[in-house]
Parts: sequence; structure tokens; C-alpha cells
Amino acid sequence: MNTILTVFKKEVLDTLRDRRTLLTAIVMPALLMPLLLYGISKLTSSIMEKEENKKLKIALLDAPSDFSSKLDTAKFEIIGGIDLEAGRDQILADSLDAMIGFATNYQTKIEEMKSGKVNMWFKSTNLMVKSRLSDVIEEYENKILESRITDLNLTKDAIDPINLIRYDIAPKNEQIGQMVGGFLPYIFIIFCFMGCMYPALDLITGEKERGTIETLLTVPASKFNILLGKVFTIALVGLSAALMTIFGLILAVKFLPDLPEDILEAMTNIVGIKFILMLFAMLIPLAIFFAGVISAMVVRAKSFKEAQSIVTPMSFLVIIPAVIALLPGIELDWTTVFVPILNVALATKEIVAGTIQPIHYIITVISLVILALISVGISYRQFSKEGMIL
Amino acid sequence: MINVQNVSKTFNLNKQQKKELQTSASSINAVNGISFECKPGRIYSLLGPNGAGKTTTLRMIATILQTTNGDIEVCGHSVNDKPNLVRSKIGFLTGSTNLYDRLTPGEIVEYFAKLHGMDQNKYKERMDMLFTQMGVHEFSKKRIGQMSTGMKQKVSIARSMIHDPEVVIFDEPTSGLDVITANNIIELIRQCKEEGKTVIFSSHIMSEVDLLCDDLAIISKGDLIYQNTMNHFRSEFEDISLTEAFIRIVENSKSNQNV
Repeated sequence: MNTILTVFKKEVLDTLRDRRTLLTAIVMPALLMPLLLYGISKLTSSIMEKEENKKLKIALLDAPSDFSSKLDTAKFEIIGGIDLEAGRDQILADSLDAMIGFATNYQTKIEEMKSGKVNMWFKSTNLMVKSRLSDVIEEYENKILESRITDLNLTKDAIDPINLIRYDIAPKNEQIGQMVGGFLPYIFIIFCFMGCMYPALDLITGEKERGTIETLLTVPASKFNILLGKVFTIALVGLSAALMTIFGLILAVKFLPDLPEDILEAMTNIVGIKFILMLFAMLIPLAIFFAGVISAMVVRAKSFKEAQSIVTPMSFLVIIPAVIALLPGIELDWTTVFVPILNVALATKEIVAGTIQPIHYIITVISLVILALISVGISYRQFSKEGMIL
Repeated sequence: MINVQNVSKTFNLNKQQKKELQTSASSINAVNGISFECKPGRIYSLLGPNGAGKTTTLRMIATILQTTNGDIEVCGHSVNDKPNLVRSKIGFLTGSTNLYDRLTPGEIVEYFAKLHGMDQNKYKERMDMLFTQMGVHEFSKKRIGQMSTGMKQKVSIARSMIHDPEVVIFDEPTSGLDVITANNIIELIRQCKEEGKTVIFSSHIMSEVDLLCDDLAIISKGDLIYQNTMNHFRSEFEDISLTEAFIRIVENSKSNQNV
């Protein structure tokens, strides 16, 4: 126990003085969430505002005068003298935003109380064009509808027989879980892995590359205890990276101004003591699992560079289950509960939503503990081989 | 006391190693059944060309590698049966100053003292004595990464000697070091002898061997091809230089092997 503690203390001190590890494990995860939330909300609102106020260039073909006069000249510029072919070309070339063409018999159809055909050409890649013009056309249609109701001596209720009122009774947490519950574990699982990666390279391969391992093996301590001291340090850094992501989220919620109301409410609901404790219980074995697996893999590498080339492809194996958890319809059940990483991502999603079944959560934690023990065991087998370690 | 008894070491080769060594053999014998004895208060030198098996032998004595056959006793304890007891008796030093760049000398020496199970008062007292003796105090607050090779070597010595080992193993201790730093090592080896410690060191620098050692052995291609006292070696080859004598022994051994 003394050896584990001695190695652990020394490695933590050594790691805390490594700028690269600090940047990956503490600074980046802490800043990511505030930057992401602030950046996304600012960027979205600024793009929306710009698109809303942009003066759209519109070509009208055979438009009735009451429609053209309805277009607000501050928001729309009507371009005349364009035929159908030229209009399509100009939309494709981005010199025109959209074109609205009324059928030649449109006016007659309207007067006969029938449906008049109106065509709209636009590029869906130009944000807001479709919705802004649809709003204008809908407003124009409503005017015609009102005049028909009056002419036919009807009431509005007569042409709207069903008054549908929708009640979304899904609890707020469940809605939040659906919205951000999948995205959140994706971020902290990746950071937990990256947090484990750099110290593992430094404490295992780095020790070989520097040649310090040789002297370390001449002390009267078991290789297993030395390895455990190292694995716990690696896991601690990985755990810190994951927790710093949550800390960054708390900071963002508390201090960022102008966050959209729904995002703010969602985040405030997530970040509670119960959530953090339940997450912590899963993250500890997950971090040890990562530390054990990475240590076992890098112990064979002779240089930092070689170790990096071994571990980097492994990041994809971590990302894949985290991405699967984002897919709709994938839930924590008796199959997914045993799949490492995927089970953490899904359990987190369900903890946020408040829908997690206690038995699923317990099995997730137990399976992670077993995997952590297996990975440390494999790592020890590798660490014990003299061909690997020297 | 070190007692090496008919020790062999075989390394299994992986594909890449076979390619590098241009061999189809699945294993290679680094050391073939060697035996010798190092006594307290004497300096034993292990000589040999590069790849002869010197480092492998020292690493087996230091318990870093396990023997394939035979046994080694250090202070009466078998390296195979009681490796931790052996480790508590030995100090191991190489020429390369392998230390942790982000730690200070005090932190490194304290780390190794704790791994040797020393209590705080004892290691602090000994660390102070070693640091004073080697002049480490003046740069003890500096991190290793900011130090010169000479400073690092002094810290390496303090780290290896903190637990006052009975047996000291030096693997090419002056290799790649400047004259002043190398001299520190030579002084340390002498001091270890004066303190009655058992000293074994590997080298291929004959002047160092001439200066320091009491007994010597020459190893080539894993075989022990010569061993005797230094005085006997000098008298046996009095008409030629020590380097020439060393080359003659190695060459003779190669011709015998070819025959």
C-alpha cells in the first residue's frame, strides 16, 4: 500500500508539472462547454438576426397587384423584367433570392372561389428565404379566406371544425434528456479518454524512453504496486478531465450572459448533486478501465511517438459507442448495459431524463468495475514481461 | 558478496528482432552458463566488447532480468527466490543520467528512499550527508530538466546510494560523460570499496579498469573467457598493454569458437 501511495504521489506531482497534460486534462475541458454554449448561442442568434433583416431580392411572375403591394419594401426588393428561365438561373447564381409565379388563370380561379396555383422557386441552402416568403403568402391567403368567409356569410369555426390542443406531458427532465443527455456524455467520455492518454504515454512509455524504468525496477517493491500507482494517477487525470467538463458546464450556466432560456433551464436542471454523484460512480471505473487499457497498449512502445501511433486509432473505438448513444431509439437495456462506454453514455442520458432503472444503473457500474479490474490485470501481465518493459 | 552460479540468459525474438539480427532463430543466448564471485571490499570489473552480455549479466544481478538457468546470490539471498531482499541490498547506477525532468533532486531522492522503505528521519539525514558530500545543496531547488549532465549525475549517485546499499552495480558508469563527471564516478567507486561494499562494474575502458579493479572477468558472446585478480592479469601480460591483452584474449576466444 505504501508503494502504491508513494508512486501515486510522485506521479501526480510530476503530472501536475506537465503543461501538456494540464492543458488537455484541466484547461481544455473546463473551457470547452462555456465556449461551446456561448459560441453556439451567439452564433445562432447572430445568423438568425442577419437572415431575418436581410432585404430579399424577389422576382414576381404574373402577380396580382394586391399581392405585390403587400410586400414590405424595407424587407423585399422586387426585381422586374425576369422570365422563368432567367429567374431560375439567377437564383442558382445567388443574384436573386427567390421567384414567385402565379398561374395565368389564378385571378379567375380566385374569383370562382377555387384554388389558384402559386409557384415558389428558392434554394433551401439560403436560410430563412422559404419561411419568410411562406409567411407572406400565408398572410395573403388569410386575407382571401377572410373575404370568402364574409361573402359566404360563414363563421371562422365553420371552416375549422377541429380545435386541436396538444399537451406535452413528458416531464421537463425527460425532454432535456432527449435534447442534451446524449451529447453531454459524448463530450466527457472523449475528454476522460484523452485525459488518460497523455499521462499514460508519459508515465509508462516515457519512463522507458528516459531509461528511468531500469532504476525503478531495482527498488524492493512489487511491479504490481508500481503499476497500480501509475494506473491510479492516469485514471485520476482522466477523471479530472471528465469532471472539468461538468465544472465548465456549471460555470457556463452560472455566469454566461444571454444564454437562451431553454438551454439555461435545461442545463440548470441537469447539474445537480444527484446527477454528479451518480456520474462519479460510473466515471471512476471507466477512468480506471481507460487507464488499464491504454497502459497495456503503450507498455510495448519504445518511444512516445510509437505509443501515440498505437493509442490514437483507439480514440475511434471510444467515439463509436459514444456516437451510437446519440442515435434515436438506442436505450439502456439488458444488452446495451454490458457494452462499455455505450452503457455510460446511455445511463447518463437516462439519469438526466430521470428514467433510469436502478437495476440497469447498478449493472452498468458493476460491469465497469469488472472491466476496470480486467484491464488492470492485462496491463499488469504486459508490465511483468521483461521484453515489454525494457 | 555476489555469487553467480552457472547463469544463462536466453531472449525470445519477435519478428522485428529476427529481422534486425538477420536470423531465423526463435531465441538468442545472451549469457551462457557463467560463474564468478565478487567479494566485499573489492572491486570486480566485467569487461567485454559491445553485445558481449555485460549489461544482461548486471541486470540479472540487479533483478531487472530473470535468469533462464542457474542462480545468483546477493548477500546470501537468491535473485530468483528473494528478489525484493536482493533489491534492498543493491544500488544500481548507469552512465546515462536517467532522471525525472520535472522533479527536483530532493523529490527524486526522497521518492527512491520511500520506495526502499526508509523512515523519514533516516533518509533526510542521509540525503543531507550525500548532498553535502557532492555539492548538490546549491542546486537542490532546481528541476532536473534545467540541470547540466554533471549535476544530473550527482543526483543519480545520490538516488542510487540513498539506502546505503551493501552491493553497488555500475553499468558502464562513465560512458558518455565528460572527464570531471566521470571522475566523480571513479571517486564514488573508490569510496564504496573503502566502505567495504561489494562493487561490480562493467566497462570497456582499460585505463579505468587498471585504476580501480581488484578482480576482473572478460566476457565475449555470452561466455566468460577469462577471470582472475588484476595483479595476476598484469603479471600474465606484463610485456603488452592492458588494452592489447584484452584484445588478444577476445580474439583468441573467437578463433577457438571458430575451430
